[in-house]
Amino acid sequence: MAPFTVLIALVLGIGAVVPSFLSAYSLGVLADAASVILLLAIGQTLIVVMGGIDLSMAALASLTSVIVALLLPELGAGAVLGALCVAALIGALQGLVHARAQIPSFVVTLAGLGICSGIALAIAKTTVPVAEHYEVVGWLDARSWGVPHAFAFGVTLLALFQVALGCLRFGRYLYAIGMAERVALLSGIRVWRVKTLAFGASGLCSGLAGVCMVARTSSGNPTIADSLLLPSIAAVLVGGTAITGGHGSLARTLLGVCIVAVMRVAVAVAGIAPAYEPIAYGALVIIAVAFTVDRSSIGIVK
Amino acid sequence: MTAVALRAEGLSRRFGETLALREVTLEVRQREVVGVVGENGAGKSTLLKLLAGAIAPDAGQISVRGAAVRWREIRDAADAGIGVMFQEPSLVPGVSVAENILLGHEGPAVRFGIIRWRKLFALAKVSLAKLGIKISPAAVTHSLSFSERQLVAFARALAVEARTREAPIILLDEPTSALDDRDIAAVLRAVEELRMRASVVFVSHRLEEVLRVCDRIYVMKDGQCVAECDARTSTVDALQRLMVGHAMGTDVTREVAASHVEGTVCLEVRQLGRRDEYADVTLAFRYGEVLGLAGAAGSGCEELCRTLFGIDAPQSGTMLLDGQVVTLRDPSDAVGRAIVYVPAERASEGVIGEMSVAANMTLAYLAQFCGRWAIDTRREWDVAELWIRQLRIATPSATARVSDLSGGNQQKVALAKWLVGERPRMLILDHPARGLDVLARRDILAAVRELARDGVCIVILADTLDDLLAVSDTVIVMRDGRISARYSVAGDRPTQQLILEGMV
Repeated sequence: MAPFTVLIALVLGIGAVVPSFLSAYSLGVLADAASVILLLAIGQTLIVVMGGIDLSMAALASLTSVIVALLLPELGAGAVLGALCVAALIGALQGLVHARAQIPSFVVTLAGLGICSGIALAIAKTTVPVAEHYEVVGWLDARSWGVPHAFAFGVTLLALFQVALGCLRFGRYLYAIGMAERVALLSGIRVWRVKTLAFGASGLCSGLAGVCMVARTSSGNPTIADSLLLPSIAAVLVGGTAITGGHGSLARTLLGVCIVAVMRVAVAVAGIAPAYEPIAYGALVIIAVAFTVDRSSIGIVK
Repeated sequence: MTAVALRAEGLSRRFGETLALREVTLEVRQREVVGVVGENGAGKSTLLKLLAGAIAPDAGQISVRGAAVRWREIRDAADAGIGVMFQEPSLVPGVSVAENILLGHEGPAVRFGIIRWRKLFALAKVSLAKLGIKISPAAVTHSLSFSERQLVAFARALAVEARTREAPIILLDEPTSALDDRDIAAVLRAVEELRMRASVVFVSHRLEEVLRVCDRIYVMKDGQCVAECDARTSTVDALQRLMVGHAMGTDVTREVAASHVEGTVCLEVRQLGRRDEYADVTLAFRYGEVLGLAGAAGSGCEELCRTLFGIDAPQSGTMLLDGQVVTLRDPSDAVGRAIVYVPAERASEGVIGEMSVAANMTLAYLAQFCGRWAIDTRREWDVAELWIRQLRIATPSATARVSDLSGGNQQKVALAKWLVGERPRMLILDHPARGLDVLARRDILAAVRELARDGVCIVILADTLDDLLAVSDTVIVMRDGRISARYSVAGDRPTQQLILEGMV
């Protein structure tokens, strides 16, 4: 309940200072700004529930934006599909390496971050404007009844994954691995498959985030999403999903995304320059983990 | 009467839905060995954890040598001269035995923050010598077997002696449960010696041991202390009656299967070997047969079981399943061929404490509990309820967290995991009754016999020779990684003496 209280307090606090904040229009702007973080946070939640972390997501989103922007003029919708497949494959490959070579996900995805950034910079030195076929992705940047399409898409995806976590075998396995990987292994669960699939899903989420970025800026850029890694992880943790694995949900992540988005506004309302925003996210991550770590048992934290 | 060393008054503690301890009052005098007995889930381990400062009581007061105390962590208790050995040995695997024994009380072995290794090893050697065990202080802990680690944990409990000027208070939770007879004798001798200079709380399921070594015995049942007996005048029967509330028959799991018919071969291993673990193992495991493996720590029995389940691949030899050569790459390969395994370390390998009883039971065969897409929780709960009744698992509900259950009931959940799906072809049990009380042990062994009657091929590493002979059709004795003897229990029923000779 705590995250919910925080969100209400933030919204009412800002509303008291800037009454126009509570208008449908400005909430729409807020949702628009939050949609890419939402997509990244969905993928991240799957990995964190499993007890891992994916540091490559934002870099992979940037890489996807470049691929989409470069291929759109020639391939149209095929460019988007192709780029999403590439993103999912890169994610799955990281999961496979992590599981099969027994390398911590932290290390594999940190390396993945570097590799994705490097590839993105190699194929596009700088911003790639979308020359043609912008309409293939453009609908994401539009609104219906004041709701940004990208945000609605993100919430739908979140609902689908929430059902998967709660009702499907895949979800049960994710939690089991997060709580006790050894027991899962000795129960005959093919842990490496579950991990590959989960990282594939997080790669797909990164790809979708990249596509949204192209829609928003009508261009691709090799570093466009990079600054969103910290806020997306902050959203997962501030929602109450435990960094130690096994506990959390996507409903919590949605709450976390809202808090992070509102925080951005709060920072602006408080008159702090946007350049200092990462300081707020950093503090948020630490506070969130401090509140969600289970101390009821004598815990060892690394 | 001598002074009171440790006193607990009205201790209560709740875990989730379970009230683990209800207003327990107990007293340990100077130079006294006090026994605590009770069934699984009676609250013995919880009581010990409270006394050691590992968890805090919800209500009640602990006092040491007359002074009331409130501990925040184990270290506070250690400062007061309380040394503890928990049921699940808690040692750091990657460092030396000496470091484990003296962890937190290195004292003279550290000067200016630098470890003086020679001094550290010497101090550790003293602790080990008190127990009369031959383990090198320099050995790396993870290279030791479970029973050796158990002994190191005991030595570690004794290390508080160096820390306090008062007579120490040593708490022992099932110190003998994983040991073979020789090591048990060493532990009991050490407890006898401790009586000269310390107070001891001794928790054990082996009532003969408790009667032999203790002065007074507290009997616990359902989280309460139901009786206090004088060990000199009490008997095993009397204690058992108090523990379960009624008299127990003789503890026999079955009439020896004299009519046992040899089943067809399920799994055959030929010249199986793994470096430093076992070598040249040739064996046939038959359907409907319980094959008991006997061996001291390091004999290769446990390692062989792990190979049969696909955890550690063999380096030489072949395995044939129903006559076909088979390679098990990992446990899921084994499970896919209906070869299943109940591990010895149930807390870290057998069950997921944070998941519900039902979710634990269905974890391995989850596909069978799914509709087209989703998990059918109704079916899941129904099956869980069924096995809760079948195995007499004491749990508030199918949705209770497994960590809130006692050790014996957790073990039953770990077993039920392999029974909810299709009948397994081969069931491997590694110390299934470790740390369990008479009733839970009997339930588990009875379930094992029942499965064998249904044609399941069973391999068991029993916890005691009594269990081994009670449950097995065939006994294979291993020593130093090789098979040293084979017996058919129905035919030439071996004596315990004979088996022991094969082991050492």
